[in-house]
Amino acid sequence: MNSGQTEFEREIAQLLVSSLNLTVEAGAIDPEAPLFREGLGLDSIDMLEIALAISQHYGIQLRSDDPDNAVIFASLRALAGAIGARRTETGR
Amino acid sequence: MAQAWFEKRERGSHWSLRTARTLALRLGRRTARVWLMPVTAYFFCASREGRAGLRHYYQALDGRRPTLARLFRHFLTFARTILDRAYLLARHRDAPHYEIRGFEAVTSCLDRGQGAILLGAHLGSFEAARAAAFLRPGLKVRVIMHTGVSRTLNEIVTALRPETRESVVRLDGPAALLGVREFLGDGGLIGLMGDRTVEGEATYPAEFLGATARFPMGPVRLAAALRAPVFFFTALYRGPVEGICRYELVFEPLCGPAPDAPARAEWMRQLGERYAQILEKYCRLAPDNWFNFYDFWQTPDARASHPRPGRDPDGRECVRHRPPLDGCGVAQDRGARGPS
Repeated sequence: MNSGQTEFEREIAQLLVSSLNLTVEAGAIDPEAPLFREGLGLDSIDMLEIALAISQHYGIQLRSDDPDNAVIFASLRALAGAIGARRTETGR
Repeated sequence: MAQAWFEKRERGSHWSLRTARTLALRLGRRTARVWLMPVTAYFFCASREGRAGLRHYYQALDGRRPTLARLFRHFLTFARTILDRAYLLARHRDAPHYEIRGFEAVTSCLDRGQGAILLGAHLGSFEAARAAAFLRPGLKVRVIMHTGVSRTLNEIVTALRPETRESVVRLDGPAALLGVREFLGDGGLIGLMGDRTVEGEATYPAEFLGATARFPMGPVRLAAALRAPVFFFTALYRGPVEGICRYELVFEPLCGPAPDAPARAEWMRQLGERYAQILEKYCRLAPDNWFNFYDFWQTPDARASHPRPGRDPDGRECVRHRPPLDGCGVAQDRGARGPS
């Protein structure tokens, strides 16, 4: 079932599935596949829901003026990596 | 086909639109309105689809076939609102006057530092509704444009009022809407349209003027994701009184901020339903302000004469678009998708 996800990536995948009401299994999301448009087929509205869920669960605010946005939202792996790094920075 | 007609009409050519704008501002409203007659007569004769679309609308509205005179007056109202845009944006002396109703509810949100979403329709004048920006000093308004329609009109709008360039939100990346939420958090107003669908777009069914019509899912999902109060708004053209053109700018509460999933699905269902009800109410109040000149009750995919790739809510073509939510409305949050 696990498609090469780390434990934390799995946690984020669960968050995506519950906050977006996705019908796909969290464990089946390819961590390297693009989240936006191709791949998981999410759009900018979904990205907004994801950002909200992340701020509610991890207290991390994703901002529109963040130069890393294109990287952060690239894939599940990139998203989990960015959240992990920011959690360490803020000590949460 | 109908959509193609409308896009064609809205686009026109750069030259003719720019010339029209210059003439309108130089001649003044009274003279320009005389010229509207032959121009409207031309479009009225040339657009069989537009007339057919309006017949469907009037048939639904009052159960009988409209007279040609009524259809022509309808076309004329559309032409007049387009003309008024020029005066409005240029802040010309002939700019129309407004009667404002229901703005207190929006103001009470703003007083709490909370922005709001204004969900409009192709009913009345969208540009006139932008005048909401002048209702309160320092009020910031941004507009989310659905697709590439109105590109030329937008260029003219920008030429007349350079500051409006800033006010149109471009959905050009995964993080584009984060800025919109920050804007709402700073007490801004976001305007978008909730009635017109494009092929391949997810839709929800709602009762509208006695039959089931399909409305676009994107604006409802967007309003939910922005977690801000939603108001219906429209600027109805109400005709000249003593030579002064009058618009009625109306705001009506639709829903409070959306809850998180799973309650969000029910919130979206309610928003969709109320939106259609309120839209119907204002269609009955000012029938000739309806500017969807095609059969509104036909599904967008059936309307398309040449099926094109799907479009996502950002108006771009996408590889894997959401399947239409047939039969389940917005109650079922999402169809199946994701890696298969």
